[in-house]
This record gives sequence, structure tokens and C-alpha cells, in this order.
Amino acid sequence: MSLASPFSISVVVITALALLGLPIGHAMIAGSVLYLLMTGQDLGTVAEQFLNGMYTNYIILSVPLFVLAAELMNVGTMTDRLLRFCNAIVGRFRGGLAHVNILQSIIFAGMSGSAIADAAGTGKMMQTMMTKDGKYPPSFAAALTAATAVIGPIIPPSIPMIIYALVSDASIGYLFLGGVIPGLLMALAQMALVIGSAKRRGFPVELATPLRDLPRITWQAFPALMMPVVLLGGIYSGIMTPTEAAAAAAGYALVISIAVYRSVSPRSLYASLLSSARTSASIGMLIGGALVFNYVVTVENIPQEVRGLLTSFALSPTGFLLLVNAILLVLGCVLEGTAILLIVVPVFIPTAQTLGIDMVHFGVMVVVNIMLGLVTPPYGLLLFVMTGITGVPLRDIVRDIVPFLVAMIAALAIITFVPDTVLWLPRLFGYEG
Amino acid sequence: MTPALRALGAWCYRRAENILAAMLAAMFVAFIIQIVFRYLLNLPIGWTQEVTVIMWIWLVLWGAAFVLRESEEVRFDIFYASASPRVRRTMCIVTAIALVVLYGISLPAVVDYVAFMKVESSAYLKIRFDLLFSIYVVFAIAALVRYIWLCWQAVWSRPAAVPGMTKAGSDE
Repeated sequence: MSLASPFSISVVVITALALLGLPIGHAMIAGSVLYLLMTGQDLGTVAEQFLNGMYTNYIILSVPLFVLAAELMNVGTMTDRLLRFCNAIVGRFRGGLAHVNILQSIIFAGMSGSAIADAAGTGKMMQTMMTKDGKYPPSFAAALTAATAVIGPIIPPSIPMIIYALVSDASIGYLFLGGVIPGLLMALAQMALVIGSAKRRGFPVELATPLRDLPRITWQAFPALMMPVVLLGGIYSGIMTPTEAAAAAAGYALVISIAVYRSVSPRSLYASLLSSARTSASIGMLIGGALVFNYVVTVENIPQEVRGLLTSFALSPTGFLLLVNAILLVLGCVLEGTAILLIVVPVFIPTAQTLGIDMVHFGVMVVVNIMLGLVTPPYGLLLFVMTGITGVPLRDIVRDIVPFLVAMIAALAIITFVPDTVLWLPRLFGYEG
Repeated sequence: MTPALRALGAWCYRRAENILAAMLAAMFVAFIIQIVFRYLLNLPIGWTQEVTVIMWIWLVLWGAAFVLRESEEVRFDIFYASASPRVRRTMCIVTAIALVVLYGISLPAVVDYVAFMKVESSAYLKIRFDLLFSIYVVFAIAALVRYIWLCWQAVWSRPAAVPGMTKAGSDE
């Protein structure tokens, strides 16, 4: 591949346009037009790839529905009830609210597929609770909320895993199962850190909720707690496709907010629809642009070339996974996660297959890695979201998130080198990988 | 722009938003119908699948054409956000010209492709594909108009008036 080949020129143009601030979807479409022009192919191919790709990849339809489900969860009083439930359970320990923050992300992770939605949904509420009366330093609270939101897309359902399934053909059901233990592992790492800092920094204990109130509080939160059961039960019993399960989850959230919690007005329903549609259109443009550019990548046989190159280094599977992790962690500092999943990850997939790496293990590892990118400075979207919600300067959040980042990278290392952390649960459900 | 024109623009923008939200609602409802028919009534139907996928394509391209603001699209904006207004103006002009040229050159072929698709119709609803896919042409033209406008603004306005970014990115 020479430096002046049409492919490398189009890659340079796409990169340049993206760096100059053009939306990445547009940049990929424009760069692909340039490639087609240079190679003398039909320029209508851009429309063909975009439209046919969107028309035939049915699985992407679950993205807007999961976004909607998460929005609907955030509108109602469901969030309050869940937080009260978490507080009743772990609030009584030192650093109680910090543990509540972690526990609520595990529960919310079972409902929404998106880390940003998790942080935006409960972030503000957690922040107010934690900083009231100067209980916790605001920067610590914001850093913790960002760190706990990372767990969201690792524990199913997960929009990034759906996108990985799209590019790798791995089973969504098994990917979702594979994320459960790594997600809990990361939550444990965070809790260990909180226990450490709580002692050192003297974090407060919450007023213990009397045990006799526990049944009532659980009952009030019960319909919301059932959501993951509905969602994942539907998928694993084989009753529903993941896409239908996403719609069912949104339907369930809507029904319990209206009928049980009576907390949704027509106006707020419209607001959630519109906001989910906007988010979905923006993800959809990125996916569409990637579908177009993927045509170019496929025509050029790039993934196979990468495989040739990497196997010529005689990398061991472990060496390869280390290399991929290192590349993705660096890219994650500057690039947005969905873009990495759609553009960079497919290039490594044939090599991973040749080396005999399990596609579900690889997928979960990649998603965990990319989620860490959301909280790595300088381009950590979750850090921006938390600055936006709380007004705490980015610099202070970054300082307090470093220990969490280190702990989560350690968890990533375990997930990478001990495939059973990912694969044990899917195998229990009949995965033959 | 006169106030009347501005008001008209704002009115149209809200209608475009209404349509976008309605498309997601239609997708959602079609899925619920599909689930009810398949699992409760045991009558699998195919048209709902078609409705959802068509609504999805239209939602993305309609949204990108008329509703999403630049700041809402997934973009890499570390440099853009930290650039001085003067540099930002240049960045804006360069990207707008590149997009206008490349989308402009491909537009005739895109129109040809979509028009050619009239030979096929969708499996259940028998809608001609040129109609289903026409939204791509709308999207491409809207992108052309938008970036010509952005470029025009960047060239003729004072640098400080080039839209800045207050927050980085907006995506999932």
C-alpha cells in the first residue's frame, strides 16, 4: 500500500476533516466519495451503501429503542425510588452514599444501554445528595459518578455491545451475558477504593434505614427492579429478539411510569421522545458514515492486510490482546467510543479469529476498554457530562478519577488475561466458544 | 434576516422536531404491535418489521438534515473548541468547502441510484424503493445548503460570530 494510493489519501482526508471539526459521519461519507472518484467507481455507491446497510442491519434498530427506554426511566420517579432502595441497603456503611452511587449504577446498568444516559439520569441527583451539607468533596462525587457510569454498558443491555455485534457477527445474547461478571468485578474494584478513601478522608455514614421499612421500600422500587428481569429474561428465554426486547423494555418503562408511578405527563413524554430521536439520529449518522467507509475498507481488503502484517510479527494471542488494548486505550483518549468500535475494531477482527481468540471474549474486552476511554482525559465524554451537570472544573474531577482509572485498568487486565471471567457465564447458558 | 422570517424558521424547526419525534414513536408502536401479534395472538406479521426499518432510515437522515445542530453530531472537537475565532473560521471554511465539493460532485450519481431503485418494491408494503430511499437525496441537498450557508457566514461575518462550542460532542 503506497502512501499516495487512493485509500491512504481518503483516510488522510477523512482524518483531516474530522480533526478540523466536521461531524465524523459526514467526514467518512465525503472521504468515501473522494475514494470512489479516484478509483473511477460509481459515486452513487455512497447512497447505496448507506441505505442498504441501514436497511439490512436489523440489529441496529435496538439502539434507538434502548435510548428511549433509558430516557423514559429517567423521567419518572423511578430513579428516586431506586435510590431510596439502594440507600436502605448500603447507606449504613462508612462512605454510604458513595456505595449507593455504585450500587445504583449496577441496577441502572440493567436497564439502559448507555453510560451517558446513566450519568445524565442519576448523576445530578447523586451529586446533590452527596455534596449536601458538605458530606463529600464535589470533585470526588463527580469523579465517582463518572466512574460508576462506566459500568453501565458493560452490564447488559449495552449499546456498544450491539454495535460490536454488528461489526463482528458475535451473538448479542452471549455478549450481554459475558459482560455481567466483568461489570461486577469493576464495581467491586470501585467499592474497595471507596472503602479505602472513606477511612482516610472520613466520609460520613448515612442514617441507617430501619430494617422494618425495608419491605416497603423494596416494594415501591419493585416494578423498576423488575425491568432487567423483563428485558434479559425475554432475550435469554429465546422468546424475543434483542431488538424486540429493547422495544419491550421501553414499553415496560412507559407503562410503569404512567400506570404505577404516575409520573409522566404528555409534555415530558414528548420531550423524551424528541431527545431520544436526536441522540439516535446522531448515532445513526455515525453508523451510516461507517457503513459507507466500510465499503472502501472492504474493497481494499484492509483487515486481511492487517492480519498479514500482524501475523508476520508472530504475535502470541496474549501479545496481540495487549497490543489491541494499548492501541484502543490511546485512541480512547482522543476518539469517541462508537467511532472506534465502528472503524478501528473491525480491522482487528480477522487477526483475532486467526489467533483463535474467542469473539465474545474479544468483544467484552474491547467494550470495557472503550468505556474506560469515556473517563480518560483529555477527551472523556463522561468527564464533560459531569462538568456540565455539576459545574465542578474538569481539572478537579480528573484528579479524583485517577485512582478509579487505575483500579479499572487493573480490572481490564484481569478480563484480558483470564478469559473465563467473561466466558464462564455464557458457557453456563450453552455458549460453545 | 427579518423577524418574520426568523419566526417562520423557528416554526418550521419545531415542526421538523415534531416529525422526528413522531418517527421514533411510530417505530416504537410498530415494534409493540409486532410483539403483541407474534406472542400474544400467535399471528406473525411482516409489515411491522418493514415499518420500523424504514422509520429508522428516515429518522436518521431527516434528523441529520433538519433537526440536529452541528454541536449535537458526533464530532472530534478538541481542536475546534480550543481554537481562536480566527482559526475556527478557517477550519469552518475548509471543511464546508470540502463537504460542498464532494457532496456536490456525487449528487447526480446519488439521484441516479435512488431513481434507479424504482425497479424494486419492498416485500410487504410494496412501496417503491425510490420513494423509500428519496430521503437520502433530501439529506444530501440539505447538507449542501447547510454547509454553503455555514461557509457564507464564516466568510462574511466577523470571526467572533462563528459558532463556538460550549460543550464537547454529544452522543452516546
